[in-house]
Amino acid sequence: MKEEFKIAWRNLWRNRRRTIITSASVFFAVFFAVVMRSYQLGSYDHMINNFIESFTGYLQVQHIKYMDNPLIDNSFDYNNSIVSAISGIDKVVSVTPHLESFTLASSGTQTKGVAVIAIDPVKEKNFSDPESKLVKYRITDEAIERLKNAGVIPDEVLNKVKQNLGRSYSSSARVELELALTDKDKELFIPEILKYIEVSNGFLANDDDGILVSDRLASYLKVTIGDSVILMGQGYHGTSATGIFPVRGIIKIPSPDIDNRLIIMTIPAAQKFYDAEGKITSLVVNLTDKSNRTIKTAKARINSLLPDDNTITKTWYELNPILYQQIQGDSQSGMAMLGLLYFIIFFGIFGTVLMMVSERKREFGVLVAIGMQKKKLKRIVTIEMILLGAIGLVCGLLASVPLILYFYYYPVILKGDLASTMEDWGWDAVMPTAWFGPYFYWQAVIVALMVVMATIYPLRKIGKLKEIEALKG
Amino acid sequence: MKNRCLIIFILLIQGAGMSALFSQDLSATDIVRKADEKFNGEKSGYSVMAMTIIRPEWQRTIEFKSWTLGRDYALALITAPAKEAGQTFLKRGSEMWSWNPSINRLIKLPPSMMSQGWMGSDYTNDDILRESSVVTDYIHEIVGEEDINDRECYKIKMTARENASIVWGKQIRWIDKKEFLVLRAELYDEDGSLVRTEIGSDIKIMDGRTITSKIELVPEEEPENKTLLEIREIKFNIPVGESYFSQQNMKRVR
Repeated sequence: MKEEFKIAWRNLWRNRRRTIITSASVFFAVFFAVVMRSYQLGSYDHMINNFIESFTGYLQVQHIKYMDNPLIDNSFDYNNSIVSAISGIDKVVSVTPHLESFTLASSGTQTKGVAVIAIDPVKEKNFSDPESKLVKYRITDEAIERLKNAGVIPDEVLNKVKQNLGRSYSSSARVELELALTDKDKELFIPEILKYIEVSNGFLANDDDGILVSDRLASYLKVTIGDSVILMGQGYHGTSATGIFPVRGIIKIPSPDIDNRLIIMTIPAAQKFYDAEGKITSLVVNLTDKSNRTIKTAKARINSLLPDDNTITKTWYELNPILYQQIQGDSQSGMAMLGLLYFIIFFGIFGTVLMMVSERKREFGVLVAIGMQKKKLKRIVTIEMILLGAIGLVCGLLASVPLILYFYYYPVILKGDLASTMEDWGWDAVMPTAWFGPYFYWQAVIVALMVVMATIYPLRKIGKLKEIEALKG
Repeated sequence: MKNRCLIIFILLIQGAGMSALFSQDLSATDIVRKADEKFNGEKSGYSVMAMTIIRPEWQRTIEFKSWTLGRDYALALITAPAKEAGQTFLKRGSEMWSWNPSINRLIKLPPSMMSQGWMGSDYTNDDILRESSVVTDYIHEIVGEEDINDRECYKIKMTARENASIVWGKQIRWIDKKEFLVLRAELYDEDGSLVRTEIGSDIKIMDGRTITSKIELVPEEEPENKTLLEIREIKFNIPVGESYFSQQNMKRVR
């Protein structure tokens, strides 16, 4: 066997060009398939993290009628013992009470329908963590003017800042990312820029009667910290809910759709506002992972803990079927694209194998004629093919690793029309890659299978080989 | 001589007219007008009412006072529950405002809100405004006589006039013969299907008039929902001027 391996290895490098072409086709197959899939899965993950982990949660306990009729009437009593019981279930990361409803928000002459989410500021830290979403930096005309007058940064950097006029950020990392400065500029000027675009902000205290307003909504209502917003809506059992609430802070939500219409307040304030003493509309449960099995077992366990038939647990895909179907549909079309890619690549590999066999027909004929066993020849060719495939496979995977790593840590930030289209659809215009997972190994397995399939042809050819004909040919 | 003849002639005609009025041969329109005026007062009115909103799972009661002047002016003040007390509603002509003390805001209700429930009840803002007149906006016709709770009633069919802006296509009212009380009303939409039924009951003498002190409203589509209006106190033709129905007074009235 060792000898056969040696011959196969020598055979490979006897015709270097052929070897390189064949393994290059395997290389590209693996490389493109892995990178494409990684992008796809990465953006799903981003969507899910962005939307589900901090908004719907993986599971929600609701009143049975709340799903069809999201009214404050369909709320249930907040019960601390159930919350701690649910927290004790395996793989549950956080249990967060919410009181959600819709009202009109008004300031001056501006009025808009908004979603009001009432939270427990402490418990919410483990879920959507609104405190981390507070707007810390904002690029305004004034800020740019002051930056210009200060003269601490060169014009080209200032231009980049100007391009992002009107944007607001909740972290300095995000500012760095969007300004896209060179490493040197970054080190020199980011601290200066941050100094000028920083804005002050506040958060809710535990029993605060104030509100947090999402960034875009705040600019629509023309309110800032310290102003008041009037909320008008319907409360529990048809009472009229009206109140004036001071704005404590401005938060930036990545999804523009939500950023346009979100107000956050504390649960006690909301219960008073809606006249719904002790009620909440949902318990949001986050889990360690989003695999189907984890979600289903957790759902069943929580359901068994609920005290009556009026409350029920829903999964994120039941709560958000549109998002789920969108992801599924996208995944299917991604798979179809991959299938097409594999199809083309397979014929690429097969083509080079075909070429190889016809080139080496005479060689095979000679070998068999001088007494080489066909079996042995077949083995050598198989080893050759496997080596070819392995070289392409390993190179492909290795080449994709730095790319995936890079874009995992520094995701592509879409700009221009594509970005605004994506934001219109409600997605954050960022495309990260997925961390290495089963998809990575599966691409390798599929490509390896294709190589094995392509090997069948030369093996059959050798089996049918007639020495005389081959020598003549 | 000629003059005396004329006077006698006039007296005769008047007498004939009077006797026609007092006889039982009232026209359908007269019956509806009498019933309407009896309840709302010829000129103005003041009432204290309790409205109970009944839903399958809960019910709640809102108490309010209301002042009316003719068809064009109305003012209502919520007095209970405490959370909502102090809200006022003003109607001047075809416009309606609401004042909310907790947010210190005067809001003009847009026409699009007219068909929405008032204070979460089955009454719409339009019902409260009583934009349309049961007398002038309908063609009335006596279609029969029926007994309701042992009281003889006229059964009157009211078809909406074509140029009138009313949400109803027709109404059927059962009006008590003696006291001109609306004991039952069925309201139909333009397609002729029943939308809601109003039932007047608990006949009492208030401020010298015999009236139904309870009115129950049952929407046809959700028969388990109900709104019960109970009159606690009512006064007719009170001295109140047009100036009482002002936006300033909305914030002052108690």
